[in-house]
Amino acid sequence: MTRSVTWRRLALSLSMLVLLAACGTGGEPDTDDAEPDVDDTEDVDEDADDPDGEDADDADGEDAIDDEDTELSGEITFTTLQLSPDFDEYLEGVIADFEAEHPEVEVQWTDLPFEGAQERLLADASAGTLADVVNLNPDLAFPLASEGEFVDLDDAGADVRDDYVEGAWDSFRYPGMDGAYGYPWYLSTEVTMYNTALLEEAGLDADDAPETFDELFDTARAVAENTDARGMHPALENRFVIDLVKLGVDITDEDATQATFNTPEAVAHVEELVSLYEDGAVSPDAVTEGHRQEIEAYQAGNIALFPSGPNFLNIIEENAPDIAETTQAAPQIEGPAGVTGMSVMGLMVPESTENPDAAHAFAQYMTNEENQLAFAEETLIFPSIVAALEDPMFTEPDEDGDFAEAISVAAAQLPDAANLRPVVVDDEVNNAIISNVQSAMLGDMTPEDALADAEDEVDAILERRTE
Amino acid sequence: MIGRRWYTPWLFLAPSLVLLGVFMWWPVLNTSVLAFTDTHTLRGGGFVGLDNFRTLLQDSFFWNALGNSALFTVLVTPALMVLPLLLAILVSAKLKGMTFFRVVFFSPVVASMVVAALIWGWLLRSDGLLNFVLERLHLINEPVRWLSDPSLVMISVALVTTWKGLGYYMVIYIAGLQNIPEDLYEAAAIDGAGPLRRFWSITVPLIRPTMLLVGTLVTLNAIKVFTEAFVLTGGGPNRASETLVLYIYQRGFSGLELGYSSAMSLVLFLVVLGLTLLSQAATRRRANP
Repeated sequence: MTRSVTWRRLALSLSMLVLLAACGTGGEPDTDDAEPDVDDTEDVDEDADDPDGEDADDADGEDAIDDEDTELSGEITFTTLQLSPDFDEYLEGVIADFEAEHPEVEVQWTDLPFEGAQERLLADASAGTLADVVNLNPDLAFPLASEGEFVDLDDAGADVRDDYVEGAWDSFRYPGMDGAYGYPWYLSTEVTMYNTALLEEAGLDADDAPETFDELFDTARAVAENTDARGMHPALENRFVIDLVKLGVDITDEDATQATFNTPEAVAHVEELVSLYEDGAVSPDAVTEGHRQEIEAYQAGNIALFPSGPNFLNIIEENAPDIAETTQAAPQIEGPAGVTGMSVMGLMVPESTENPDAAHAFAQYMTNEENQLAFAEETLIFPSIVAALEDPMFTEPDEDGDFAEAISVAAAQLPDAANLRPVVVDDEVNNAIISNVQSAMLGDMTPEDALADAEDEVDAILERRTE
Repeated sequence: MIGRRWYTPWLFLAPSLVLLGVFMWWPVLNTSVLAFTDTHTLRGGGFVGLDNFRTLLQDSFFWNALGNSALFTVLVTPALMVLPLLLAILVSAKLKGMTFFRVVFFSPVVASMVVAALIWGWLLRSDGLLNFVLERLHLINEPVRWLSDPSLVMISVALVTTWKGLGYYMVIYIAGLQNIPEDLYEAAAIDGAGPLRRFWSITVPLIRPTMLLVGTLVTLNAIKVFTEAFVLTGGGPNRASETLVLYIYQRGFSGLELGYSSAMSLVLFLVVLGLTLLSQAATRRRANP
């Protein structure tokens, strides 16, 4: 039983991993009590600016509900990504509540396992049979969105837009297109988790977590030199492109027609990776490994630093309680670009829907403050509603210890976070880039040549796509 | 003759024909048509003649992937033709407890390839069990980089496939061995033939048809290798273990280039077809020398 739960959790986390993008710390996230106060003040200010603010809000809400009450009817279909069976109860509850509010509407929910989801959605889209509300992340939605499959929510969702975290809303904007195409749903954001025991063994101050790339690499080297463990795992497939963005490198031009990542900053970063590899600060196997092996290595105590979503703490605690015990969380590693990354899940409404009113109402309902807070109670994810992130659940988490720390660190950095992984970097583009970086790390190519080759390969892919 | 209708045999054949038709012939036919178009999964496309095949000739990644698949096949085929035969002979020995070993050797077949590849991923790490053992035996001085050395990764992938396939082909060989009349061995033993001599002069010639069958099955499966490479290395480092199906998958499902990946699939199909015909010809020649 426990094992199957663990595996399901792992599967869930792996699926969340796909949406795990992003890094860079937007300033010092104030994890302490200062922030909620500030935010509270802002709320008050907003209300003050808007005389009778509350009433106005209510009125908006009533209008919407009135519309819905009188007009919403019929059946809508809803697909989610890898949320069943873990969250059956929660999702069925929200659906039941929605149906209770709108007795004429019936919601048919289907969950798609992450594996094969894209294939299925592409087939549905080309057959014109997408669900009325579709759960996707920005990357998975990109091919469909760029074919105009989804409704622009800058228009259709204008009245609720300001409720959402701006960076999350913007993560559904696509190169060469106007508009935003997804209601942000649940979020995750990378924090720097680290093994305090290993840091101490390496003679470092365990409370002084690395905050910049230089500090991260120095810590990794110190751990490798002074302990039996490695410092970190590069998880190229998952992190390389995002790290470049944090370092201020543009992956492509604005229209995503040409690669632009072969810059001195990028070369310096690859050189750094090569030297970490040569110094033994990363494992020799790491070159072809991804995030899965990174989690394994951290759980086994083989690496000291683990920048990743706090949702992985669940897995660590279950599989390696002693490591979880010694784990602390610090804000995301910051690059010169000063941006913080996050991963976003969203709900899209396809143009092909025959019941747009009910579809939008349901998508907004699913992602509203109350329902997202309830979702966050279920698991370690974060709501995309600004007000929900100010809930004491995040600002002053009850739990003692590291989860609480990770939760407040993550929640504090989310309002200013963005989806840093350019949507154009799908598996094929990512593979073209990291394949060459792998060669550089193995010393088969110079960093300059690797990046030049990678850029050529990406250019070829982009050219094919814009043909 | 009573009640026999012309359609009676077809009724019996129908279930298989429908299944084959829907899941084999129709996709093959569809792929063959798509191969001559520039179809994009969402955008559709039009007829482009032989353009895809011209592109393919120039596509160095295609040749790299085809080369990797071929290398994999060359590595795996002899191993899976010989090793399972030796195992089959071992477990056919009339000794106590051989059933246990049959089960043990067969068990990897039942495991999913993903799980097998995950486990081997751990064993093959530079600090994994295999390197540990080799180092303890003083066979190597420093860890072998099974999964990150471009010249070794295909061998590692082939190792996993071989390990997992042993039991399956062993069972086929056990069946083949049971068809060899016992009295041949007895006669040879009376004539003074030792175990090796009996193996070379009786077992090998008589098991040859089975070996050919196994060789054909292994080759056809090997040329389509995907999961092992996908899980173990993701095709890396720098495409050193990117097999043809991996590349087709990437172009088709990530790049959405349905036309182009269909063209590559068609080439793969022709390669498989060619190998099948070749092995059939070989079998026929053996059967009627």
